[in-house]
Amino acid sequence: MIRNYFKIAWRNLAKHKVFSMINVIGLTIGLSASFVIGLMIYHDATFDTFHKDADRIHRLVSDFETNEGGFHNSGVTLALKDAIADNSNFELVSDFYIERPMKVENKALGLEFKLPNFVIFTDDDYFKLFDYKFLAGDKQKGLSNPNNVILTDERAADYFPKMTPSEIIGKTLVYNDSINVTVTGIVENFKGRTDFVFQEFLSSPTILQTRLKDNFIEKNWNNTNSNSQLFVKLSQVADKVAIQKRLDDLAKEHRDEDSKKFGDERLFKLQPLNDIHFNGDYGIYDWTKGQASKTLLANLALIALFLLLLGCINFINLNTAQATQRAKEIGIRKTLGSSRKQLIGQFMGETFLLVLFSALLSLLLSRWLIVVFSDFVPDGLSFELFKTPIIVVGVIILLLVVTFMSGLYPALVLSRLNAVSVLKNNLAIGEGKVKMRKFLTIFQFSIAQVFIMATLLVGKQINFLLSKDMGFETESIVSIFSPVSDSDVSKKKVYAELLRAMPEIEKVSLGAAPPASLSTSSSNVTYMNDGKEVHSELQFIYGDVNYVDVFGLNLLAGRIQRNDTVRELVINETYRKLLGLKTPQEAIGKTIFYGDESVSIVGVMSDFNQRSLKSSIKPMALKGDWNQSKYTQFNRVHIAIQNQNINNLDETMAKIEDAFKFVYPGEEFRSNFFDEAIQRFYDRELKVSKLLNWATGLSILISCLGLLGLVIYTTERRVKEIGVRKVLGATLLQINTLLCKEFIVLVVIAFVIASPIAWYGINGWLQDFAYKTSIGIWVFLLSGFGMVFFAVLVMSIKTLQAANANPTKSLKTE
Amino acid sequence: MLLQIDNASKTINSGSKKIALLDAIDLNVEAGEFISLMGPSGSGKSTLLNCIGMLDGFTDGEYVFLDESVHGMKEKQRSKLYKEYMGFVFQAYHLIDELTVYENIETPLLYKNVKSSERKALVADILDRFNIVGKKDLFPSQLSGGQQQLVGIARALITKPKLILADEPTGNLNSKQGLEIMELFSELNKEGVTIIQATHSDSNAAFGSRIINLLDGRIVSS
Repeated sequence: MIRNYFKIAWRNLAKHKVFSMINVIGLTIGLSASFVIGLMIYHDATFDTFHKDADRIHRLVSDFETNEGGFHNSGVTLALKDAIADNSNFELVSDFYIERPMKVENKALGLEFKLPNFVIFTDDDYFKLFDYKFLAGDKQKGLSNPNNVILTDERAADYFPKMTPSEIIGKTLVYNDSINVTVTGIVENFKGRTDFVFQEFLSSPTILQTRLKDNFIEKNWNNTNSNSQLFVKLSQVADKVAIQKRLDDLAKEHRDEDSKKFGDERLFKLQPLNDIHFNGDYGIYDWTKGQASKTLLANLALIALFLLLLGCINFINLNTAQATQRAKEIGIRKTLGSSRKQLIGQFMGETFLLVLFSALLSLLLSRWLIVVFSDFVPDGLSFELFKTPIIVVGVIILLLVVTFMSGLYPALVLSRLNAVSVLKNNLAIGEGKVKMRKFLTIFQFSIAQVFIMATLLVGKQINFLLSKDMGFETESIVSIFSPVSDSDVSKKKVYAELLRAMPEIEKVSLGAAPPASLSTSSSNVTYMNDGKEVHSELQFIYGDVNYVDVFGLNLLAGRIQRNDTVRELVINETYRKLLGLKTPQEAIGKTIFYGDESVSIVGVMSDFNQRSLKSSIKPMALKGDWNQSKYTQFNRVHIAIQNQNINNLDETMAKIEDAFKFVYPGEEFRSNFFDEAIQRFYDRELKVSKLLNWATGLSILISCLGLLGLVIYTTERRVKEIGVRKVLGATLLQINTLLCKEFIVLVVIAFVIASPIAWYGINGWLQDFAYKTSIGIWVFLLSGFGMVFFAVLVMSIKTLQAANANPTKSLKTE
Repeated sequence: MLLQIDNASKTINSGSKKIALLDAIDLNVEAGEFISLMGPSGSGKSTLLNCIGMLDGFTDGEYVFLDESVHGMKEKQRSKLYKEYMGFVFQAYHLIDELTVYENIETPLLYKNVKSSERKALVADILDRFNIVGKKDLFPSQLSGGQQQLVGIARALITKPKLILADEPTGNLNSKQGLEIMELFSELNKEGVTIIQATHSDSNAAFGSRIINLLDGRIVSS
C-alpha cells in the first residue's frame, strides 16, 4: 500500500513538473534556512554544557549603578573571595586572574614567546571545578606551590615541541625574564564547545612576583578588574536568596565614601555558567570569537520560520488549486473502497515525499550556506553537527511538522470531494477554497513586502550613518600602534620625527585613541558654578599639540594646550553647556576639579561624535600626556597622508612600515585606517542589512513562484475563455490585464497590510540610534510599486503566452 | 434477498424549488438476478444506481442491504460494504490515469488489505481470464476504449463482489466491443454474480433477466 502511494506520488510529481519545481524550490529554501539556523542555535546553546554539574557552577560578577546609567564588569574585587569562602551554600569557591606575561622562554631550547594569550593564575580548586583530563601530573596538588605551571597539550606543543607529556613534567620555563616556573602538569584541551579557552595555568602565589604584587597583598574592596574572575559551585541544597542577601550585605558594608556621596551603587550577582556564552554585558574570554546573541538567533529563527511558511503556503495554494485535476482519481478511489482516512494518508504521503526530497536538497545546500553566511555562523560550526543524534531527531520532527503544515489542509480538501459529483464532471470549486488561497497569497506578499521595506529603510539608515559628517576628518588618516611593551614616549617621538621627514606625509600626531573609537576613558569631575557643584562624568581623548590639526577638530575659542604635559583641557560644546556657560569665550580660564587637582580650561572645540552615531555626544575634553615621565598615555601615532599620495598608498604604507621597523626592530607592525575603523562601528548594522537582503530576495522568489503557479493554473482553466475573447476582438494587453487583475489586487492589499507593520518595526529599530534617517513615504511607495512590477513581470511569463496562443487551437480541443 | 427498497425517493433543492430525482421506488433484488434499468436521459437510472451503490443516498424511504438498513449506517460501515460486496463499472471507464493496468486492477485489493502474494495471484488470474496479460504494464491512455472497459470490469470483479453496478458500460464503445462486454456480463451472471445495469439499448437490456423501466424518477413497469 505504502509503496503504491509513493509510486503514485512520484508519477504525480513527475507529471506536473512546473508545480513540483515551485513547491520544491520554496520548501528547499525554507528548510535550508531552518537547517543552518537550527545548527547555529544548537551550536551556541551547547557551550560548556559538558562540565560535571554545569548547572551548579556560577560566576560572580559586578553590576554598577550610577546616575549616568548602569554598567557591568565580569570580574569582582579580589577581596570578595575571602569574604564568601566559608559559606555552606558553596561547595567550591575558585578564583583566577587573567594576566598575559610579557614573554615566556624555554631556555633549554632557546625558544621565546612574546605575550602569550590565555594565561591565568589559579589554584588546584580550578581543576576541581572544571574537569580537565590530566595527561601527566597530579590533579590534586599540581598548583599547590609557587612557581608551578600546568599547560594544555596545545600550549605544551608550542613550548616543548615533539615531547611527550610525561617528558615535559619537571621542565622549566622563564616568565618575564626573571620568574622560573616548573611544569607540573599537562591537561588535554576541552574537546567540547567551550568559552574556557585558557592554555596556561600558573599557581596563584606566583603572581606576587609580577607587577600585580601590590594589588594582591592589599586587596582593595573598591577596585574591580575584569581580569579577576571568581567562580562558585553551589551545593545541592543551596539557597540562592540567602546567597544574594549575603552578597548585597557585603556590597553595602564595603561601600566607599564617594559612592555614598554620588549615589553610586555596586552589586554582586551570580551569573549561571550557561549565560556566559550569550550575555554581552560581561563578555567572553576570547573576544575575537564574537559573542553569541540570543536576539540575533531569535531574529534568524524568525526569518527561517517565515521562509518555511512561504514555502508551505505555495504548497497549499498549488495543491488546492490543482484539486480538479486530482478529483477524478479521488472519486474512483472512493468507489473502489478507499476511506477518507486512507485518502488523507495517501496525500500526506505524497507531501512527505516532496518534503523529503526538498530536505535532501537542503542538506546539500546547507553545506554551501554555512560558507555564504560565515558572517553570522559562529566560528567552529561544522556541517558534521548534522550527525549528532539530537539534530537528526530534530530534523525528522521538522520534516513531519512541515509535512503537516503544508499537506494537511489540501489533503482534507481533496479527500472531502464527493465521489458522485466528481465522476459526473460537475465539480464545483468551493468559494471557501478560493478565499483561503487569496488569504494565503496576501499573507505571503505581506511578508515579502515587509522584508523589502525593512531592507530599503535599513540600507537608508546605514547610508545616512556612513555619510554623515561626524565633525572631524576621517579620510586618509592612518594610526600606527606602538608595541605594547613600550611604555616610554621617547621612541615614539623618534618615530614621529622620522615620519614628519617624509614628503608623502602631511601631519603627524602622537596620542591615544582617535576622536571616535570604541574605547573610553573617563573620570568624575566637579565644577563650582556660583557656589553650586556641577558633578559629571567627563570623557577624555589624549593627544599631543598636533592632534587637533591632524583630525581637523574645530576650535571655537581659546587655544590648544601649550605642550604635552601641561595640565590644561580643551573641552567640547556639550560640556560647556552642561557647565552652564553661555558662550565658548566664557569658558576660557575656568577651573574644574579633577581628583585632588584643579585644571584650567584653555579652549573649547565644536562637538563631534566620540562613538558611533548610535550614541549621542557626551561631555568630553582633550588632554595631553600629564604623567609622561612615569607612564605615557600615548600608544599610537596618527598620520595624515598627503591627498595627492593617496593613489600610491601601498608605497607610502611600505615607507611608514620601514620607519617603524627601524625604530622598533622585531616588533609587530599594526596599522588601522580611520575610515575603516568607523565603518566597523556599524558591523552589526551591515550584517543585519546583508541578512535582510537575503531574506528579501528569497521571500520575493518564493512568493513570486507561488504566484506564477497560481497564474499558470487559472490561465489553463481559462484557455477557452481567452480564445473566445480573442475571436471577439480583445487585444493582447486587454487579455493580460484580465488575467493579472485579480492577483494584482491581492498584492495591493498585501501592501496596505505590510506598510504599517514595516513602519512600526523600523521605527523600533531606529530607537537604538541617536541619529536617525527619516522614514520617507517614498520608501513604502517604491517597495509597493516594485512588488507589483515584479508580480506583473512574473505573471506575464504565462499570461502573454496564453494570450498569444492561436484561438482556433484552444477552441478546437474542447 | 440481496437488497430491498421500499418507497424510497430522492429530492434535491434547486434554487427555491424542490426537484424529485427519484420518487416512490419499490424494488427487490434477489441474489443471481441480472437487472436492466431502462429509460430516457434524465429518468433517474444513474441516480438509482448510485443510491443502490451507496455513492449517493435516498432522502426518504427504506433501503435494506443483506438484511441491514443502509440508512442508519456510518460512512465506515458503508465503505466496508463496497469493499465486500460491490463492484462498479462506469460508462467512462474511470481508470486511474497515473496507474498501469496491473496497478488499477490491484487497487481495490489494497483497500481490502489483501496480502501481497495473494494479490499477485488474484490479479494474474483475472488478467489471464480477460486475455490482457500482455497489456498489464500499459497505462490507460495507451489502450482502446473496449480494452479500458475490460480493465474496468476486471477491476470491479477482482474483489469477487456479490453485486456489480454498471452505468451504461457500453455507452462509449462500438457495437462489436459492446457485444463482447455484454456476453461477459451474462457469463458472470451465470457464475452467480448479481448485476444491475443502466442502459439505453434494447439489445443490451435483453441480456438481463428482468427489465425495469424508469420515467421521471418513477418505475413505470417491471
